[in-house]
Amino acid sequence: MLRRTSLVAASLLVAGGLALTACSGGGAQPTPTAVGEPDPDASVAIRLVLEPGNLDIRETAGSALDQILVDNIYQGLVARTPEQDIVPALASDWTVSPDGLTYTFTVREGVTFHDGQQLTPQDVVWSLTTRRDTPEWRDSARLANVSTIEADGQDVILTLSDPDSTLLWNLTGRAGIVLKEGDTVDYQTGANGTGPFVLADWRQGDSITFTRNEAYWGDPSGAAEVVFDYIPDNQAALNAALAGEIDVLTGFDANLREQVEANGDFAMVLGQSTDKGTLAFNQTDGSPLEDKRVRQAIRQAIDHDAIVEALAAGQTQYGPIPELDPGYEDLSDVAPYDPEAARALLEEAGADDLELTLTIPNFYPTTIPQILVSDLDEVGITLEVESVDFTTWLTDVYTNQDYDLSFVLHTEARDFENWANPDYYFTYDNPEVQELYAQSLAATDEAEAADLLQDAARIVAEDHAADWLYNGASVIAVGTNITGMPSINVNERLDVAEIAKSNG
Amino acid sequence: MIRYALTRFALLLLGLLVASVLIFVTLRVLPGDVASVIAGVGSTPAQQDAIRERLGLDRPLPAQYLEWIGGLFRGDLGTSLLTGSRVVDQLAQKAEVTVPLGVLSLLIAVVISVPLGVLSAMRRGRAEGTALSVGAQALAAVPVVWAGMMLVVVFAVWLGWLPAQGFPRAGWDDPAAALRALILPALTIGIVEGAMLLRFVRSATLQAVGQDFVRTAAAKGLTRDQALIRHGLPVVGLSVITVLGLQVAGIIVGAVVIEQLFSLPGIGRMLVADVAARDLPMVQGELLALTGFVLVVGFVVDLVHRGIDPRQREAT
Repeated sequence: MLRRTSLVAASLLVAGGLALTACSGGGAQPTPTAVGEPDPDASVAIRLVLEPGNLDIRETAGSALDQILVDNIYQGLVARTPEQDIVPALASDWTVSPDGLTYTFTVREGVTFHDGQQLTPQDVVWSLTTRRDTPEWRDSARLANVSTIEADGQDVILTLSDPDSTLLWNLTGRAGIVLKEGDTVDYQTGANGTGPFVLADWRQGDSITFTRNEAYWGDPSGAAEVVFDYIPDNQAALNAALAGEIDVLTGFDANLREQVEANGDFAMVLGQSTDKGTLAFNQTDGSPLEDKRVRQAIRQAIDHDAIVEALAAGQTQYGPIPELDPGYEDLSDVAPYDPEAARALLEEAGADDLELTLTIPNFYPTTIPQILVSDLDEVGITLEVESVDFTTWLTDVYTNQDYDLSFVLHTEARDFENWANPDYYFTYDNPEVQELYAQSLAATDEAEAADLLQDAARIVAEDHAADWLYNGASVIAVGTNITGMPSINVNERLDVAEIAKSNG
Repeated sequence: MIRYALTRFALLLLGLLVASVLIFVTLRVLPGDVASVIAGVGSTPAQQDAIRERLGLDRPLPAQYLEWIGGLFRGDLGTSLLTGSRVVDQLAQKAEVTVPLGVLSLLIAVVISVPLGVLSAMRRGRAEGTALSVGAQALAAVPVVWAGMMLVVVFAVWLGWLPAQGFPRAGWDDPAAALRALILPALTIGIVEGAMLLRFVRSATLQAVGQDFVRTAAAKGLTRDQALIRHGLPVVGLSVITVLGLQVAGIIVGAVVIEQLFSLPGIGRMLVADVAARDLPMVQGELLALTGFVLVVGFVVDLVHRGIDPRQREAT
């Protein structure tokens, strides 16, 4: 139905005689340059896809929360740029001891929370300690290596039991968020952070509005107000943009480029992302996928270039680590597209007339399963597609590990740890990989840590622990009067402080 | 009449009770729970269990049901497991969108269907009558989503007269903007429902033409059309009221789809999101409210019908 509708809408647009502009190239481009003067009083409307269920950053999972709340509302000692570099935030600077066991952060002075309370080093100590000691809070395990957290004057000192090369990165995420000790805010519907924006309004099922934090310690935000409009359907979002109701579209479909650029008010920007279209194989005992040859055959039967082409964005990825993350290596030699080889492998494994089920959450486009069904059919595997809602996926696939194949877009940056966790739903258990990952964690040198990850990632790919169908792109359409819109990995984190809108 | 109303009211209560059990039980059949949504990917089973326990999802089902029904008698539909907000408050807030949308859709459906349906019946056999009848047949077959999309492309994207989606954040504080936001969605539902209703009005009118009392009236010197309008249409009106009652259910279903399409923050969109998140207290409250609404409309329609139509009174 959706497909038919968009086709009809598209042909109508064409029939309307609207000029179609040419496509511009891919890759990370700067967002369009506005011609007019930025308007400091402007309100910018941004279309997002996935609305958070509640705003409780402590406990509730989901990148929908990180995407808008971290950086904009809540901050940690350190932050990350869209380019994935680690930069100071609530700490003005920090030092790491040569043995990698002591981190000393200098907490900025003169920082206030949105309700006017002062940020103290004790708040930092309390936040990190509580996070570490409360298993129900998200990412608490990421601070497991931290044995003591103490304040000394304006400094906060973290002492580790073992070196942890991921600690700083983890502090840029949920694990490092600084809350006010003893705060009484209702975290499910409210927020009290130190960021450049204040939560102004949440209309559940509709939109979330941020307004500029006038008492912000850093540079004030470019826009006075940012409204996040939750519009799941791409066609509805496109209509809203063309009708002038939305300034920026995120999570867009690159195939709609011509339509959104048609009247010259928008430009499409493709940025890199850490979105990994992951085809998980249940390789537990008794599954046909326990046989490595079957897994390899499936990988070699899939035309990854065709998938990227169908999505009109992103790139191929043949291993567990995407290009933006440390440890990336081009692993396309491990499982090149070769249906002939796939058939031979299946025969060798004695897996004739294999019938498998693909469990996929129903909010993904049907393009992916369609290609998989036809590619696998080509080598004699019958694929049945079971489209389920995400909650069912969480129970059946994630928790109960009851599936053959599963497709989910894993958006998190630097999440290699899942391949070193035999209990994760990937069901992949290789002690060598686990050891390499542990060594990488314990490394005190960044380059060394990355090299160890790279070695581990190659083994995972060579084991055909899963297939990586593509490394997605951040597809955004930005109004030509908008500046400062980040384009990299915006599905995971969207820092809107620099976005400005001109009236020209 | 009073005895009838009381019996009918008892039936209404019984209907609600049955509905509440059905809603409660069928929702428990769905796989997955809100605890897994809150804990999410990256959680351990122990974390999920802790959340489940905190939310009371581990308690026996009869206890959960009794608590829900007990609250219902105090006008309390419980609180959302996900957001902690009261179901009643959320329903009231979203009703500000859905109720006007439904009323507007119904009005549009009636305005379209009644005059055109009568006209189509009176002009039966002639070109315009056939055209109306065929047109209604075609329109009634149009999927609501497609109709909505077409209206958006024409009136929002091309002409720029009306908003393509969303509802003003100021809500009904700015009535003009709120109304503008509802016009396209209401037209979408109204046209499709109206087309269905038109066919009903047409056949009811044709039936009325064949009735003895219309023929008698015509025999007394009125033209066929005059006889139909004076004596036939009141009967048609009665059956239209009945069908309108049924139509309310169709409009609610339409609203679920249309609120998605137009990103309207109404009950339909809330229902879809809450089902996806397995926020069962919310879904229970929403479904019960909608079911209750349809049942009450049916109740009122029956009473009105009986009050107006003398033939029914004599029958019992």
